[in-house]
Amino acid sequence: MSGFEEARSQPAEVVHDLADRLATTQEQLRATSDILKVLTTSTTGGAASRDEVFDAVVDSARRLLGAQVAQIYLVQGDSYVLARSSGLTPEFVDFVSQHPIARDRATLVGRVTIDRTVHQIDDVLADPEYRRTDFQRVGGYRTMMGAPMVVGDQVVGALNVWRTEVAPFDRAAEELLSTFAEQAALALRHVELFSALESRSAELARKVDQLEALAEVGEAISSTLVADEVLTTIVTHAVELSETDGGSLMEFDEATGLFRVRTAYGTSGDVIDALRRAEIHIDRTWVGRAARTREVLQIADLDAEPKPLDPHLAVLHASGWRSLVAIPLVRPDRVVGALVVRRKSTGSFTDETCELLAAFASQSAVALTNARLYQQLEQQSVALAEASQHKSEFLASMSHELRTPLNAVIGFSEVLLERMFGDLNERQEDYLEDIHSAGRHLLALLGDILDLSKVEAGRMELDLTTFPLDDVLVQALSLVRERAALHGIRLTLEAADGLGPVTADELRLKQVLLNLLSNAVKFTPDGGRIVVRAWRDGDEVDVTVTDTGIGIAPADQERIFDSFQQGERSASSSEGTGLGLTLSRRIVELHGGRLWLTSTPGEGSTFGISFPQPDADRTAAGEAWMVDDGSVTGPTVVVIEDDPRSAELVELHLRAAGLRAVGASTGEQGLDLVRAQDPVAVILDIHLPGMDGWEVLSALKGDPSTADVPVVVVSVEPERGRGFALGATEYLVKPVSGEHLLAAVTRLLPPPRADELSPRLSVVVVDDDPLALKLVRSTLEPLGWEVHTCAGGQQAADLVRAVAPSVVVIDLLMPQVDGFAVIDELRPHRDSEGPPIVVLTAKSLTPQDRSRLEGRIAFVAEKAGIDLPGLARRLASVAAEHVGQGEEP
Amino acid sequence: MNPRPVVLLVEDNPRNLKLARDVLEYAGFSVVVATTGEEAVEQSRATLPDVILMDLQLPGIDGFAALELIHDHGPTAHIPVVALTAFAMHRDRERALVSGFAGYLEKPISVREFPAQVRRHLPRPEAPDP
Repeated sequence: MSGFEEARSQPAEVVHDLADRLATTQEQLRATSDILKVLTTSTTGGAASRDEVFDAVVDSARRLLGAQVAQIYLVQGDSYVLARSSGLTPEFVDFVSQHPIARDRATLVGRVTIDRTVHQIDDVLADPEYRRTDFQRVGGYRTMMGAPMVVGDQVVGALNVWRTEVAPFDRAAEELLSTFAEQAALALRHVELFSALESRSAELARKVDQLEALAEVGEAISSTLVADEVLTTIVTHAVELSETDGGSLMEFDEATGLFRVRTAYGTSGDVIDALRRAEIHIDRTWVGRAARTREVLQIADLDAEPKPLDPHLAVLHASGWRSLVAIPLVRPDRVVGALVVRRKSTGSFTDETCELLAAFASQSAVALTNARLYQQLEQQSVALAEASQHKSEFLASMSHELRTPLNAVIGFSEVLLERMFGDLNERQEDYLEDIHSAGRHLLALLGDILDLSKVEAGRMELDLTTFPLDDVLVQALSLVRERAALHGIRLTLEAADGLGPVTADELRLKQVLLNLLSNAVKFTPDGGRIVVRAWRDGDEVDVTVTDTGIGIAPADQERIFDSFQQGERSASSSEGTGLGLTLSRRIVELHGGRLWLTSTPGEGSTFGISFPQPDADRTAAGEAWMVDDGSVTGPTVVVIEDDPRSAELVELHLRAAGLRAVGASTGEQGLDLVRAQDPVAVILDIHLPGMDGWEVLSALKGDPSTADVPVVVVSVEPERGRGFALGATEYLVKPVSGEHLLAAVTRLLPPPRADELSPRLSVVVVDDDPLALKLVRSTLEPLGWEVHTCAGGQQAADLVRAVAPSVVVIDLLMPQVDGFAVIDELRPHRDSEGPPIVVLTAKSLTPQDRSRLEGRIAFVAEKAGIDLPGLARRLASVAAEHVGQGEEP
Repeated sequence: MNPRPVVLLVEDNPRNLKLARDVLEYAGFSVVVATTGEEAVEQSRATLPDVILMDLQLPGIDGFAALELIHDHGPTAHIPVVALTAFAMHRDRERALVSGFAGYLEKPISVREFPAQVRRHLPRPEAPDP
């Protein structure tokens, strides 16, 4: 408060003056802060808040500057309009609105805005330049002052004050007016920003639409790898959204440097042909330049382009195209193609259009790249399959070529060892044994190589049968017992009770056990011990071979499973192929199990195999597992399957397809059922207790009364060749999805004839895609359906009401009235009357879509990869149900 | 009934032919040989053997084709034909059995078991000859 103390020491008038000035300043500050408050707190934006600020400005200006009137004029075109005022009579406001103020120096507003500075006219009646005496007469003012309102670098208006007597404003008033004018300008700026924001939102909304279109393209890209479909979608959308007349998508071939038209829209066939014939080189064409520079290029008028035109443009020009945009399709490291949209009229394209097209282009680049990768992948897999085939052929022939001489080596040494043609001396016998065992070794090696290559090529086929595990263990043991005894090794078997039968490839399992046992014998010192243990652990069977051998160092424990590795155990051993463990592990893995090892060097090793086996009890039942209660009618399918869970699943799927399933859990029972029921198809498992699936298949095909019944083999074994050779119609490898199973069965069945039903089945198909309409028509008409088509959503409901079809098939994505809208009209509620509705769409339904349609449609079929006979079947089933309901009294 | 059953041995590899022939003769068979498919068909008609052992890979017409010709010819239609082959693929066995071979013997043969394996395919002695 020291300043205040100081002030008190000044003469009274000075203090008074200071106090006055302080009050004035305070008032000015308050006014300014009021205005600022209006400015900052205004949430409504737009013109309303602008006027609020203007009102605050004119009120404060008039009051604080001691003027009768304050007014704000805004520049509008070539004149000024009064925006807000304070202290004006209605007559004056009226007069001003009827007498425009021109942008010249005749008025104060004119001078202020033209000079961009504050002006004062001390007395308008004494000012020779002042011309608008008409205003003066109505307003009666004498002294005037005005300040420009500037936003950015533009004068947008002026703030005016006037006094009705000649009393010029002082310097302080001038500054104050400038401040108010600035605030008014600020308000205007604020409004501008706000409306810019609004239009930005509108633009955003438009962008959202475009993004949705892009998303649809993206969806097409991910939902299908058929490139041309995706590319057509892109071009179509690009043309539609850019409001052009046509377009094309070109692919770039790096090898030749040429662009080739992949797909086009809104372009006649001969123009497309001409474009495809044209040599569109990256270095010599306009499109190429767009790609090279990675810039969007446009031509507003082809006529005005310098001639001669490049080959691409020449074709377009000749066929009447006038303006076009080229958007390069590029990936970070290379050019993949170009998108071109064009109009038949002249004119340039807006930035917005170009931006949109650029967005499409990036999508297209991805699509093109995907398409290319897919093509390569296809070619590669063909090449791979060929290579694999060659490898198999090579191995088979190599095996044959090597076995032929080995046959002689082994055979003749055997002949001699058998003393067929005379006795041998000891040394001769010794050498012959060597020849013979070397031959056998080579043979074993050959067999293992062949087996391993089969496993690696995924071609090893397991011959699964069900057999007692004990027997195999005993047999395997007996094969090495002699050799073990020779070395004084004790060999024992500890098999747990209730081991029961197992399902596996018996020979392969024996091969694995023999390999483990031979190794154990080989690496156990004389007088050692080998124990084989076997037990069942839930759904798994375990067998271990434990020896008291030299053991395997931890470092070698994994390595010994590699080909030709025997660890430190025996580098010099001539026995064994070095492939045994590798092959054994693969064989166990093929059975879904694993081969493992625990070992302590110096103490011994345990090799174990564990492989899954369903509980023996479950497969014991031999009863038919499905009660034929007559509740399901329709064609009968006999299911021969011993696993009740698999059988139940199969039945569920069949029932869902309107088929009646009758089952058997043994082959014999299955044969009886087929003969008794005359089914439309048989689903046959291969692994069955007793008579196996192959035998059932042979029996069915061998019996003229059942030979014609199509058989779908479902097996864990990939033996398609054998299945088809024996007469199977379809061969599915387990696990089989319900869909695949159903597809296989429905392919076998003739779709029901629609005209054999009474009344004849009819359908209304609603789709904007003529191809889809044609496809459905060509599928259903030959089956006797009455097919009505409708190319859009608008007339769909009327047509349905007029025709009263048995079923309606409708696309979801259609221009104008979409499928949802049609469904809403035809079936507003779940309980609404009317024919069943089936959705046939290329759109992947979102959960929202599904819940929206829930209960109102019969089913959804996707266009991608559609199975037409299956669709026909399902339609018939849905339609028949509806017709059936309608006939009920 | 001929005390020495007659075997037609069809094999193009001379060493393997010699081995099989010697072993079979030692075991009491009477052996007739052929080294091509055509020769096999001719021999089967000329000698009407009790059993035919046939390699599948032969110069000229292969074992499968020869089998067909043998089975299509009335007098030889009933003669069991056993495949004798160094084909080692699992599918080969199936293919042979599906094609109508009576059996399938894999090379290399086991000298000790070979005669018994062949004998198994001989028509039973009590079966009356039509």
